[in-house]
Amino acid sequence: MNPRILPLAVVGVLLLSACGTSNAPTTSSQQGGSVSLWAEWSSGEQAAFTAALSPFESQSGTTVNYSSKGSNIDTVLAAAVAGGAPPDVALIPDPGTLQTLAKQGKITDLTSILSGLSSNYGSAWNTLGSYNGKLYGVWFKGANKNTIWYNPAQFAAASISSPPKSWEELIQDVSTLKAAGVTPFSLCTDIGWPVADFWQNVYLKTAGADKYNALAAHSVKWTDPTVTTAFTTMAQLVGTPSNLAGGLQGSLSNAYPACVDKVFPKAGSQPQAAMVFEGDFVATEITGNSKNYMPGTTGSGGSSCTTDPSKTPCYNFFDFPAPSANSANSAAIQGAGDVAVMLKDTPQSEALIKYLAGPDAAAIWAHLGGFASPNKKVPASAYPDPVSKGIAQALVGASSFVFSLDDLQGTWEKNMWQDLLDYLKNPSSSSISSIEATMDQQATAGLGH
Amino acid sequence: MAASSLGRGHPVLPAVGVATPARGAVPTSKVDATTGRPAGGGRRDQLGSLLFLAPAALWLLAITIYPVIVTFRNSVYDENAISYVGLNNYNVLFSTASILVTFRNNIIWVVIFPFVVTFLGLVFAVLTERIRWSTAFKTIVFMPIVFSATASALIWRTIFDLDPHVGMVNAAVQTASDWVNPPGLYPVNASAGQSVAALASSGLSPGASGSLQSSAAVQPGDTVQLGLIGINAATLQVVGAQGAVVPTQSSGSITGLVYRDFSPSHPSVRGQVFPDENGLPGIVLTLLRSDGTSAGATTTDQHGDFSFNNVASGSFRVQLDARNFRSGFTGIYWLGSQSVTPTSHLSQTAQALLSVPLVDLAMIVAYLWMWAGFAMVVIGAGLTSLNRELLEAGRVDGATEGQIFRRITMPLLAPVLVVVLVTMIINVLKIFDVILNMAPGASQGDASTLALLMFNSGFTGGIHSGLASAVAVILFLLVVPAMVANLRRIRG
Repeated sequence: MNPRILPLAVVGVLLLSACGTSNAPTTSSQQGGSVSLWAEWSSGEQAAFTAALSPFESQSGTTVNYSSKGSNIDTVLAAAVAGGAPPDVALIPDPGTLQTLAKQGKITDLTSILSGLSSNYGSAWNTLGSYNGKLYGVWFKGANKNTIWYNPAQFAAASISSPPKSWEELIQDVSTLKAAGVTPFSLCTDIGWPVADFWQNVYLKTAGADKYNALAAHSVKWTDPTVTTAFTTMAQLVGTPSNLAGGLQGSLSNAYPACVDKVFPKAGSQPQAAMVFEGDFVATEITGNSKNYMPGTTGSGGSSCTTDPSKTPCYNFFDFPAPSANSANSAAIQGAGDVAVMLKDTPQSEALIKYLAGPDAAAIWAHLGGFASPNKKVPASAYPDPVSKGIAQALVGASSFVFSLDDLQGTWEKNMWQDLLDYLKNPSSSSISSIEATMDQQATAGLGH
Repeated sequence: MAASSLGRGHPVLPAVGVATPARGAVPTSKVDATTGRPAGGGRRDQLGSLLFLAPAALWLLAITIYPVIVTFRNSVYDENAISYVGLNNYNVLFSTASILVTFRNNIIWVVIFPFVVTFLGLVFAVLTERIRWSTAFKTIVFMPIVFSATASALIWRTIFDLDPHVGMVNAAVQTASDWVNPPGLYPVNASAGQSVAALASSGLSPGASGSLQSSAAVQPGDTVQLGLIGINAATLQVVGAQGAVVPTQSSGSITGLVYRDFSPSHPSVRGQVFPDENGLPGIVLTLLRSDGTSAGATTTDQHGDFSFNNVASGSFRVQLDARNFRSGFTGIYWLGSQSVTPTSHLSQTAQALLSVPLVDLAMIVAYLWMWAGFAMVVIGAGLTSLNRELLEAGRVDGATEGQIFRRITMPLLAPVLVVVLVTMIINVLKIFDVILNMAPGASQGDASTLALLMFNSGFTGGIHSGLASAVAVILFLLVVPAMVANLRRIRG
């Protein structure tokens, strides 16, 4: 065989087979049949998700062919859509992908399919799942980054009976903690993303969700006065080294999750700080440090919380507070989530989408733990403990929901992290303007506008 | 003796073969010594060889030569490799302070590491020849080379950790330091942003050099209440604190109380002694005259009470000595970007070029641990193949061991040392994994090298293929001289 023809022949065969796949008519039109479903979850999460799907399979007789695509599901899905072989339904972690797919007409308008079910979600969630006023997605799973975790025994040592509800109360509690000899805060700032998460919460709580989204799209400049406010507000808490476990230097040498371990240590050590900020995934780290940690404010057997991890320690969280002047933003939440979209309109995929939009699947996974649903209809009793219930309630009641701003910055994300670290190293008001100018320059270069 | 000397009497060359086994592996008998080609082959044989070589050559062309050419091309194009930008990428490289740092780090590595590792290898090789358990010693020194660089970097990251409870180096320093300079009962860690002045709550103000003293002047017959905040409940347990008791006045004495000014029942009230507040025991106090000289010293009891008895009339202040608050050693941040050369007064660009961050040195130590064994083995192989007769002759002629080492061993060993040196120069020019895994994120920017810069600008975050390619080209040009030198040396 002429060697030059061989590659062409291979390409030809591939093209033919690709066409064959994309043009194949959908044969299974009656219920029963099967539906293909992609999501990012694997191992433990996959098992929980599969358990959540099993009632659907047994009731409808439809087989769900679940395939885990890991954290790069966006890329995999884009390739599959371009190649003409997408799954029937996919759960994607990025609202931007939903927008893109809706714009390209690759996903189905769910407005009429979900007419009775979209009221299960607050308007913040339906807005996030919509494109051009039409509903394209169902937010099946949510993650909450609006959480400051605290060691209740440490708060008790400073006689703080209830967690702060406003930024001012938080600052007041910080000084009370210090008077009692308890270091208030533990920060992981070995790398920039935890600072970015923190700063973004401060910005959301001071400037509001609309400004937040505008800044994310760089239609508000980084030199805007609201950015300055966020910097100075953040400095009230983390700009004083004595507020931080290990001071500034100790924070800069902390890689996540070392800061969590300083508040919720393993047996054999005492906590070195009272609070730590990060998203709901902190709970996994805490319970991983010791099985003794009880969610909420009472230790095991109803005894009071202790600082000693080998006795009856506890963990709890409070919502990242807004300054009282900006209390309208107190229910605005920064987080992440997985939205279900329909790529092929078959009766089976419609039934699956409806099932995911209802409370049943979410309730099953919620009961298994490590899950929070923005769905109003999921009963609070489905959650196994007060902490996961509280996280889910915050999601359900969110007045607006925004995604991590840094993740939307594309190529300059790492510059943004570094700039925020630079500010933390020198949190004086004089350094703000030069850092803002740098950030705006980098945002312009990175986003192209 | 003579027989064993002869048995070891190989020429130096095979030792070189250790570094490059592929080339040394061709049996000498079938190779023409001058051309390196198979002896006595005709045109047919050559054609045959070419035929067999062709697949490998094509493969090499596809995965080595082609990428090199494309990298050169991309280095003069923009971030998406679409439009031509001339030497703009190179301009950016040589004018951005945060990028110049990477050149500086490469220079630090190249200047320090190859020479030190060669020296260490030489010392180990020479010394192991003379000890009994040399194989065991060699095995231990060589062992780190079998660990992946990532694993080694993570091990050393822990060894250099800031927290003395985690980091071995700081734990050792702490033990020594606390022995010489024991910490006080109420340590204040200045490096964590704490200050003695912040402890003063009521009746106290900052005194000389890290001490506190009573704000008001006191006379015999007075009693003072001195409140401190920021004392942890755990500390109270350690020192055995008991409930604060306000002492009674007594004429001719200055009495007082040092207490924890934090009441669980009144968490925001200061300056008042509540029944649930504790006295602070073990605080060393000095009674200061108005001229600052000492009029006596005492220590507080379990209830925080103290008294200076039989005080002559006059005006005094009570000082809480600095040693109460002396913190123990709290750790040196070995992996930080603080410079070991004083450059803070220089401009930003000069700083970037002239400072030597501590983290660089910590990483060099880790890398020495990883490679000293390799240098030792290669140099050791060279050492065993030395012509012993020359050494014997030197000894017979009355040369000292030092002279023999400097005048005979070293010159004979020079080719091997150069090979180790050059190999290590190439090795550190492209150093990457140790920095990525050992330098904490906060100091990674200051510890970055060209290879890491290439990775970061080409493959993570802000992807800029032009900049990354330009770095790759520079790295290539830097490695070429060392590579050529090594190849020449191998050819002999």
